[in-house]
Amino acid sequence: MSNYAFIGKSMPRVDSRAKVTGEALFTADLRLPKMLTGKILRSPYPHARILNIDISEALRVPGVKAIVTGRDVIQRKWGVFGYTQDQQFLPADRVRFIGEEVAAVAAVDEDSAQRAIDCIRVDYEILEAVFDAMESLAPTAPLLHDNFPHNINVHVPINVGDVEKGFAESYYVREDTFTASEDSYFQGEPYAVVARFDTDNNLEIWMPNAGPHMKAKPLSNALGIPLNKIRVRKITIGGAFGGRSEIAPADLICALLARKIGRPVKIVYTREENSIATRQGHALITTIKTGVRQDGRVIARDVTCYMDGGAYSSTGPIAVSVPFLCMEQAYKMEHVRYNGYRIYTNKPPRGMIRIHGRAFACGVDTQLDMIGEHLGIDPVTMRLVNAREPGEFTNTKSHVASCAMKETITKAAEKSGWNDKWGKLPPLRGIGIGCNSVQTGFPMGIRGGSQAIIKLNEDGGATVISGVVDNGQGNDNMLVQIAAEELGIRTEDVQLVTADTEVTPSDPGAYSQVSTFIGGHAVKNAAENVRRQLFEIAAKTLNVKVDDLKARDRMIYVKDSPDTGIPLKKVVRMILAQGKSVSGQGDYWPKVDPKREWVKNPFGQMCGAFSFGTTVAEVEVDPETGKVTVLEVTAAQDVGFALNPLVLEGQFQGSIAMGGQGGILTEGHVWDGGSVLNPTQLEYKVPLACDMPKINTIIIESNDPEGPYGTKESGMSIAMSAAQAYAAAVSNAIGVYMTDFPLTPDKILEALQNKVESETPNQNEDVMEKALELIVPAV
Amino acid sequence: MSREIKFVLNGAQTCVAIEDDWNLLYLLREKLGLTGAKEGCGRGECGACTVIVDGLAVNSCLYFAVEIDGKEVLTIEGLAGADGTLHALQKSFVSNGGIQCGFCTPGMILSAKALLDENPQPTEADIKQALAGNLCRCTGYVQIIESVEAVVDKSSGDINAVVRETGDSD
Repeated sequence: MSNYAFIGKSMPRVDSRAKVTGEALFTADLRLPKMLTGKILRSPYPHARILNIDISEALRVPGVKAIVTGRDVIQRKWGVFGYTQDQQFLPADRVRFIGEEVAAVAAVDEDSAQRAIDCIRVDYEILEAVFDAMESLAPTAPLLHDNFPHNINVHVPINVGDVEKGFAESYYVREDTFTASEDSYFQGEPYAVVARFDTDNNLEIWMPNAGPHMKAKPLSNALGIPLNKIRVRKITIGGAFGGRSEIAPADLICALLARKIGRPVKIVYTREENSIATRQGHALITTIKTGVRQDGRVIARDVTCYMDGGAYSSTGPIAVSVPFLCMEQAYKMEHVRYNGYRIYTNKPPRGMIRIHGRAFACGVDTQLDMIGEHLGIDPVTMRLVNAREPGEFTNTKSHVASCAMKETITKAAEKSGWNDKWGKLPPLRGIGIGCNSVQTGFPMGIRGGSQAIIKLNEDGGATVISGVVDNGQGNDNMLVQIAAEELGIRTEDVQLVTADTEVTPSDPGAYSQVSTFIGGHAVKNAAENVRRQLFEIAAKTLNVKVDDLKARDRMIYVKDSPDTGIPLKKVVRMILAQGKSVSGQGDYWPKVDPKREWVKNPFGQMCGAFSFGTTVAEVEVDPETGKVTVLEVTAAQDVGFALNPLVLEGQFQGSIAMGGQGGILTEGHVWDGGSVLNPTQLEYKVPLACDMPKINTIIIESNDPEGPYGTKESGMSIAMSAAQAYAAAVSNAIGVYMTDFPLTPDKILEALQNKVESETPNQNEDVMEKALELIVPAV
Repeated sequence: MSREIKFVLNGAQTCVAIEDDWNLLYLLREKLGLTGAKEGCGRGECGACTVIVDGLAVNSCLYFAVEIDGKEVLTIEGLAGADGTLHALQKSFVSNGGIQCGFCTPGMILSAKALLDENPQPTEADIKQALAGNLCRCTGYVQIIESVEAVVDKSSGDINAVVRETGDSD
């Protein structure tokens, strides 16, 4: 596997220079001739019927050029799946959450647009609203969508083996419920869209996205124009984290405004709009019943999960399934039953997020610790006993080809000094471990594969054409690394044409942790194709066999005699002189079961590979304030093969920040009915530089047989396992198993107080104070 | 009300007509075409709009444009040399992986520069504190902090030399 020029080497990313000089353009930075500013009018009510929209006064505001409402859209509801089509963009009849789009204005500047927005008169008939998933299930609850009875948007039932038999055979069975509030992406860049139509009525559109091709088709449907007239352009993207994958109302609205007035329009969301009107993470209520043998091995598990999905489906069936899938991949069990429900409420719609389903994952691991305590087994052993192993099948029949879960556990435990710390830390210090597994790819139907095209120029430089998008993780560099490696040229010889639906072939997008595995694979195959063309000519010239050749540093030479070679550029020119081009294509389709479907048939090969990660966190809790200080975090992941360790470590560290530090300690939305009370970064509390602990990262390579160079997903199973480890560490520190996330200081103080009360028979104040003193460490 | 202000922008004397209610970020992005400073929140929470005014890192979204009259402003566009040579901090962010999506990067680098100009040998705690007003959602800050520390290490030799010279002259 060694002897690569670029693969497996830490290298700065090709997009770095433009980003440190400020030259990298994000959507909001674009300025086109005659461009107008767009603003959106949003519903102030969580549930209301729209009786009338009067735009006459708004149209008279100076500088206003166009206004669109529900009358300007094709009446066709959007849904990621055919059976979840429930969202009419710019609805003409009914709004279902505070912040839903009602009308939009394009004007010469932002002030004029805002003045016009303020002049649009909407008559609403306020309807009864529901804000809680369990209340929404009640027969008396208002129905959000007529064709979804009981407000159940999606129900995923999975039943493998015989859980009741499994529980009957178990040495110990327990059931616990875990909950978490909604969370949000808080990408650095607020959402923005620029749209214009050219003279042939082709739409050019720029927006932060997790897959340009995933945006293009629904835009084509919503605008009623052919797909080859939708040109989602490449632009620098300020983060996605599971969001920004599907069409956003603003995409269509911006295009409608641009079409109506015949001028480019730019819409830039405020931070608040980005929080309430893009997507959020689901709130969860998860009840987990687990039966184990005396040695801690799980025999049976029965999970019921209610997810608050907000007003619309978004990626509903995926969202309901993934938390279950992650945990069935991570741990073995014989019998399992899952009932996942996604429930509509009058709150903003929810999508996939980097630590999607934190109450599920943290619940499974917290319960393992509870069981371990009962059995007298420490958390590391509990996880080793249950850890997934290579060659096995998951309960839903996915073959796990490569898996180093056990190594991640032992390496993380070793590095963190687990054996010296578990059960030996002073009061209010705690250590916890979490394990997770994430899919390298979701079944994406006809958009599940990727194709790449490479052409070589007469100077030996290459142009790589691929649908892969880079939304911050370094995908552009990944493509350059692969193309340069396979072609035997330098990274500066590679130019990318990517993420532009006018020219790039279809690609699943940077959505399901799949860019390297599928998009990178396609580029590798295309490069091998082109290299073969070069080698055929070079072999004749050098009088050797094709298999004897090797390309490196712009030269094609004979493997065992580095002095015998020919410049790659010369071979290109020889081919061109024969009247042929030097170009080729390559594609890659993951070996997944095409019959697998999220709801109707959740069985069969789910994706090409699975990643496995373990995180250990050590924390200290201040009993006076409830504040958690994180002392050290150790993260180990089986990434298959580390393509670029520098980038990988950044992914691990970012995952710990978002999954553990933010995801468990601070991040959660607070509500007043359907209003988000903390839509801004300061109030929501995303982690700061000064919050971050010491981090150890451990890369483990299991060399996946299918992944390009052995690679698979990286980072996500750290984000998830970090959440689990943080939760476990806090529980360990305070001696209370915490079940409601995030673990904010108020909840920690309450848990400490309850613990003291339950351990103190006489609850008068003196005794209470003395008891509290006992758990406060001496200064 | 409209008025004219004069200030030094990235080393060049600049004279522009502004409205009283403009903030510095709006002036830079919308009127002067300098889009390196980003608007991440518009309310001083995220630091993506950080620029340096008279040596201090400020949130340009909260800084009235009228207040820069007579002052010196450095934006990310003015940090590299005229020949395109990157500033040591820019080089360090590139080589140490201090960049992912890049939205926070210009503000992050300028906050780091303001820190190093004021305190050439900051501790890790100093760096974390100086960058606490610049939010990054991608990196977990580790490689950003390492990028700043790498510059500190490199310059420490020079600073010691200065200290010795001062000592000798006494």
